[in-house]
Amino acid sequence: MAGLQLSNVTKSFGETPVLNSIDLSVTDGEFLTLVGPSGCGKSTLLRIIAGLESMDGGSLTIDDQDVSQVRAADRNLAMVFQSYALYPHLTVAENMMTPLKLRDLNWSERFPVMGPMLGRGKYRALMDQVRDTADILKITPLLDRKPGQMSGGQRQRAALGRAMVRNPVAFLMDEPLSNLDAALRVHMRSELADLHRSLGATFIYVTHDQAEALTMSDRMAVMMHGDILQLDTPHEIYTNPQHVDVASFVGSPKINLLPVDEGEGGRVSVLGITVAEAEGPVVQVGIRCEHLVISEAVKAHAWEAHVVHLENLGSDLFVHCAIAESDTRLIARTSPASRHFMGQTVYLKADPKAVLAFGKDGRRVPLTAVAQAEPKKTLRKRAAA
Amino acid sequence: MTDAVLENSPSLAKPRSDGSVFRFSTTEAMKHAVLIVGALIVLLPFYVMVSYSFKAPSEIMTQTGGFFGTQELFRDDFCVKLGNAAEDCMVRPIIYNYTTAFEKAPLLRYMMNGVIVTLSIFLIQVIVALPCAYALSKLRWWGRETVFALVLFCLLIPVHAIALPLYIMLSKVGLTNSYAALVIPWTISVFGIFLMRQFFMTVPDDLIDAARMDGMSEYSIIWNVMLPTAIPALLAFAIFSVVAHWNDYFWPRIVITGNRDLFTPPLGLREFKGDADGDNFGPMMATAVVIVTPLIVAFLIAQRRFIEGITLSGMK
Amino acid sequence: MVRSRAHIWFAGPAILLMFVILILPIFIAAGLSFTNYSLGNDGAQFVGLQNYERIFTRSTYEKMFIATFTYVGVVVPLTVGLGLGAALLINSVTRFGDIYKTIYFLPVMAALLAMAIVWEFALHPTIGIINATLTRGCGTFLEGWSWYAQGCERTFPLWLTDRDYAIWTVSFIGVWQGFGFNMVLYLAGLTSIPRELYHAAEMDGAKSGWDRFRLVTWPMLGPTTVFVVTISCIRSFQVFDTVEAFYPQGGGPGKSVFVMMFAIYEKAIQQNLMGIGAAITVVFLGFVMMLTLIQRWLVERRVHYT
Repeated sequence: MAGLQLSNVTKSFGETPVLNSIDLSVTDGEFLTLVGPSGCGKSTLLRIIAGLESMDGGSLTIDDQDVSQVRAADRNLAMVFQSYALYPHLTVAENMMTPLKLRDLNWSERFPVMGPMLGRGKYRALMDQVRDTADILKITPLLDRKPGQMSGGQRQRAALGRAMVRNPVAFLMDEPLSNLDAALRVHMRSELADLHRSLGATFIYVTHDQAEALTMSDRMAVMMHGDILQLDTPHEIYTNPQHVDVASFVGSPKINLLPVDEGEGGRVSVLGITVAEAEGPVVQVGIRCEHLVISEAVKAHAWEAHVVHLENLGSDLFVHCAIAESDTRLIARTSPASRHFMGQTVYLKADPKAVLAFGKDGRRVPLTAVAQAEPKKTLRKRAAA
Repeated sequence: MTDAVLENSPSLAKPRSDGSVFRFSTTEAMKHAVLIVGALIVLLPFYVMVSYSFKAPSEIMTQTGGFFGTQELFRDDFCVKLGNAAEDCMVRPIIYNYTTAFEKAPLLRYMMNGVIVTLSIFLIQVIVALPCAYALSKLRWWGRETVFALVLFCLLIPVHAIALPLYIMLSKVGLTNSYAALVIPWTISVFGIFLMRQFFMTVPDDLIDAARMDGMSEYSIIWNVMLPTAIPALLAFAIFSVVAHWNDYFWPRIVITGNRDLFTPPLGLREFKGDADGDNFGPMMATAVVIVTPLIVAFLIAQRRFIEGITLSGMK
Repeated sequence: MVRSRAHIWFAGPAILLMFVILILPIFIAAGLSFTNYSLGNDGAQFVGLQNYERIFTRSTYEKMFIATFTYVGVVVPLTVGLGLGAALLINSVTRFGDIYKTIYFLPVMAALLAMAIVWEFALHPTIGIINATLTRGCGTFLEGWSWYAQGCERTFPLWLTDRDYAIWTVSFIGVWQGFGFNMVLYLAGLTSIPRELYHAAEMDGAKSGWDRFRLVTWPMLGPTTVFVVTISCIRSFQVFDTVEAFYPQGGGPGKSVFVMMFAIYEKAIQQNLMGIGAAITVVFLGFVMMLTLIQRWLVERRVHYT
């Protein structure tokens, strides 16, 4: 088990840059997810860590040893591929024996027929290792089957088994759940998390599904266009995104993004309603749908809108609204018990503490005052005027 | 892509961003060395064939003259025998070789036979196989599966094996020594039926139904709808057929027993060799060059198609 | 799909031809093999198993089997092995791969008969380029090799006219002509191997080319190999062009190259002994059918993994 360090890693395919100077530090035993849309470079980064791709520049250290020039087979990392990549002609047991045989047996012991006879003791020891791992993953009854005779979920476990069996320094997983159906995927998420807890090993996990990243990781790195936009715990990423792209990518339904009125610096207002005060110029604000309060009664500092779409998921009701006299749409989350209907006029108020302000370059701008205090000031000013 | 795993040398010394840096590695060099030695052995007879078709008899006997031969004039003894003066009988080797090839064996005639036979075979094969493939893939009828099983069974039969009975049957009908004999046994190409049927299965039924709605007869559907879509497979089949039958020696040898006018190119060459007094290596090589060149040139031009065709024909 | 009568016209000719040209002859051959028919006779006398007896006892036919099986036994492993080797090498070099592919495939395209004659010329004991080149090496360190020294002293082998070398030489030419075809088939097979398997092998610790070959390449080429071997066997059993071109009468020095196809030709066409010719045909067909069935069975067995 080891800490991993990537410094200044760059990579291009021909003329196209794929990774722009990536710095990443993985602590021993953590579950780190690389998440982002397709093409952001996450799989490439994983393969560079594995050694299956070479990096154009930068370095990789594992346990303080520079492994940038070490070939993949020597790095003692294990990888679970999206397509599982199990050897189709071997049984599960033989698949799992392969990494053990290649490492622990010498040349003569690996020979097809003679080998097992020569190294009988060793073979048995390796087989025991295989059986132990199979027990943990509960695939013991599958040991004599070939990949073609198993379901997707079973194959996935077999691939995991093959990775686990030799206790690698870290586990690299390239979208291992993508090929499973939805229900199985949710189940496997918790299984993988359990596995991580029981093994205590470092997991580096790649996915395009932000829900997977949020639910499984200790830390997640949101990547886009070859950069890591933010590396933080899931909670921080969700509540404190440092970039508007991070805020949009994470969270379902997508965060409400509203353009800010031209106006006095500092004060942030959208369509006439002041929502906050910020420490710098703000171009757009994001408000998660659970931070929008929707009501039928008129409220101060609320946008007037009418309902254009309703999504009742059973546990939540998502109300899509169009703000009066504008093109802006908002989605608010509320309880299914509330009675909303199409075309209804509603009033949406943003929770000022939860408003996220973003500047011109997409970066997060911290807020200063809370808008709640504002109205009093304004009213008094008006009254005075 | 810089796929580090599939590079042959584990010494990833220089980062290769666009692959343009030429990395010299010993394993790569050794591989090329082996491949080059192999290439030389493979090319040896071609070299001999082409080179000696340029050379004079004396050069042939002594293996001199480089690749092209010195092209010095030499005396054509046969011409002298015919009564001409020696000075009139000095010829350039290359011209002598090739003109003798075309004259002594009527090479042009043989080439033409080759074209006629190969083309006829292919055309008839298409006419027979295409409708059958269509019927097997797009029409529903009683006995369809049985017929397809029959096709699969016939794929197992090597045509060489049935040559003898066919010969007997043909000679009973008096058809030996004819174009018919050369063509008839090959008119049924079960391989062609199989290939085309597999291909036709991938054509969407809607296309055909639309044509039927337009009032097309089944017959014209074959030639106006199916044929155009099947061009790649047809091309592969054409290549397979043409190559096999242009080069075929066994069957023509059996079936053409007297009429020299009907010789296909390989037969012609063989006859020429049989006639030759062992001295006529130059013209013999020239004949070989002429016979072999058309397909080789076609191959060089359309390599990918050829190899696709052979692969397709292979992966039955 | 539409029910129509069209199928009769479409499939009819093909079905008819299949019976007449492919299936009927088999029965005729089988039937004739029990007779002593000759072309020109009006009828044929039934002779029972006499022809088959001859084939399996007479020494001429013993030579036929030896020649045929020697040829097949040499050509098939070599064409398959060289085809695979060439495919692997070409697949792994970064440049010039296409050029090598083209060169190695040329012999397949060139009419075997024509190239056979060229080979005959090249292998000519005195004026052929091979022996001429070998002779040039006389007087150098190559004479350390005893065979070479012997050749320099007397003469180098006569190759095609040499009883000891004839069958091997003809086999060599068969290999020369055939391995390019297998190479192409293997190249196609190699491209269908999923690359991720190689990556998985690397992660598992497979470092050498041999490990990768054993773990991924060879097993994944299984179906291709079965096919290549079968096709090569069938093609080798059918060898004729080279043998007839070199030895129009008799099947080589001491009948050492008296292969089956040529035996059929000699007995049936040249000597007009159709009965025996038919019997050899039937035996030949038997071998081919057996080979194909074995291939089908092997492929069936392996097919259950994807």
